[in-house]
Amino acid sequence: MALELVALVKHDCPVCDQLLPVLDAAAAGGAPVRVLSQSDAEETAGQAARLGLSFVPPLDDELALSQRYDPDAVPALLLLDGGVEQGRVEGIDRGRLAELAAQAGVTLELDALPERRPGCASLTRDPRVAASLAARAARREGRIRSRPIEIGGLEDPFEALFDRGLTDGLPVVPPTPERVVAMLEHTSRDPGDVVGIVPPYDGEATVEKVAINAVMAGAPPAALPVVLAAVEAACAPEFALHGLVATTYPAGPTVVVSGPYAQEIGMNAGGNCLGQGNRANLTIGRGLQLVVRNVGGGRPQEEDRATHGQMGKVGSCFAELADGAPWEPLAQARGVAAGETGVTLMATEAPRAIVDQLARDPDGLCASLALALESVATPKQRLAFDALLVVGPEHGRVFREAGWDRAQVQAKLHELTHRRAGDVVRGALGSPEGVDPRFVTDPEMPVAKFAAAERILLAYAGGDAGLFSMVFGGWASGEIGSAPVTRSIEPWR
Amino acid sequence: MSCGLRDVLEFERVGKPAVLVASDVFTGAADKQARMLGQPAARRAFVPHPVQDRTDDELRELARSIVDELVAALARA
Amino acid sequence: MALENLEILDPTPERAAAGLPLAAPMRGEARIALVDIRKPRGDVFLDELERLLAQKGHAVERTMKPTFTKPAPADVRREIAARCDAIIEALAD
Repeated sequence: MALELVALVKHDCPVCDQLLPVLDAAAAGGAPVRVLSQSDAEETAGQAARLGLSFVPPLDDELALSQRYDPDAVPALLLLDGGVEQGRVEGIDRGRLAELAAQAGVTLELDALPERRPGCASLTRDPRVAASLAARAARREGRIRSRPIEIGGLEDPFEALFDRGLTDGLPVVPPTPERVVAMLEHTSRDPGDVVGIVPPYDGEATVEKVAINAVMAGAPPAALPVVLAAVEAACAPEFALHGLVATTYPAGPTVVVSGPYAQEIGMNAGGNCLGQGNRANLTIGRGLQLVVRNVGGGRPQEEDRATHGQMGKVGSCFAELADGAPWEPLAQARGVAAGETGVTLMATEAPRAIVDQLARDPDGLCASLALALESVATPKQRLAFDALLVVGPEHGRVFREAGWDRAQVQAKLHELTHRRAGDVVRGALGSPEGVDPRFVTDPEMPVAKFAAAERILLAYAGGDAGLFSMVFGGWASGEIGSAPVTRSIEPWR
Repeated sequence: MSCGLRDVLEFERVGKPAVLVASDVFTGAADKQARMLGQPAARRAFVPHPVQDRTDDELRELARSIVDELVAALARA
Repeated sequence: MALENLEILDPTPERAAAGLPLAAPMRGEARIALVDIRKPRGDVFLDELERLLAQKGHAVERTMKPTFTKPAPADVRREIAARCDAIIEALAD
């Protein structure tokens, strides 16, 4: 039997101050009593000097014992038998202390102590300490493997991150190990798992690296699975992220989130969903773009050759409305299992408004939407661009009440976005751009705007009031360019 | 441009010398990318910008002006 | 503690600078693949290169990448590398 009494104490606890001389005296007399301090070396030595102890208590390294036995309060006196706890007293209680000590064959001089006195909170109950311990444990266990970057005490960490070129021009949240560990709590995946290889420099985006950039973006930790799925989708070969980063065109990745998890993490699918104000919307898109920048290495005016770019390249992400939708969510239309949440990535420019405040029937509404769809890039551009049409609820009601589903709307929009070749050939309307005249045998022949009806992606989102929809024009489309990619978030939770 | 540089390095990896021809707006970006992809000496040659607006004759002249440089680049150890 | 260092984690892939070797140089009248990355006007440039290289005694093969927006598919590259001694890829703008 290896019975011993082990006490956990803090330097700034007056109750510990009262019990320590008693334990010190017992230990000095040869009793099996050990004291461990939760405070640091300097603090502990100061307390020992102040109390006139014969031993300076050793430190509870990494608060290992404190975490293992997890007291609410100190002083905590534990009766251990070969490390197995047989009993404990937290705070001062003369009767129970005497009883506990007797089990170890120890007599404590308790007369000078109060009958009872509650202790002070154990240091393990301080949330900052807990976070710091979790971060250190993560590093020790190899869950965190990234190189630490030290920012000197005299540097402003926000300026330091700007200076190191790690931001998108806006301040980023410093990715401390504590914040990254808190972010990683929201995935069951191993932090070393590779999510994707990010162009143009083939940077390996591990779960950990995505988490670091998600912290920098300011993402709520629960949003991590969405960011991971977005990175996975962006790195799919058919998305052509390399070309998208390098192009002179102002396109960037837009993330459409469909499914119940969007609401769980507080995304906005309603009023102003494409604007400011919602943390999840703004930071998921931003997290993806920070991965593109920091993991892939694509930077403006270097690898990113965009002539103008557009504000959505800071981040472009919104959620779809489930209630009242005229059709199934976009993710489900593209293969994600029912009930699961998915992200759809599409290379797009910034959105534009489409006004129709008079249409009461789906044909009329489609005609108005088609006019706007025609003008993606300009009406002279045929077949080369896709589009993402975000139908607002007031427009969606027209389709829903007429019973038009997704395919029907797409087919109608495709049909209505045909123009006679004579109007879109080079030189027509005074514009040198347009269809190569070698391909125009008959000026009356209709030329489609879009390569197929399915190339007009439909999403459903927006506020209750306002007879508007929004169109995001695409980029180089189809086989030769970027195709939209959908991924479930479930493997990343 | 950057997709082309990756192709060039993939050919080099399988033992075939390869050279990328690009407009000279890309000289800085190509240098950086070559370094970042681990091969600063990736073979590359540049023609004066612009390309799209040139006549056919001008494009042929660009080819004539650069062909020796390309052969030399491929023949370089 | 205002003057303590702040530790943050590196958000980049922390790659080591590698030094990959270049392939052995082209020798003599080698067979050259001209790969068109399919940016507009590139074909005129490549036509002339083909003519000039042939004059210099090189066998020339013309190929197109499926798109300039992605690197060439591995199988396209493999075929080119199997048949040719050297590659010129043009014209990126």
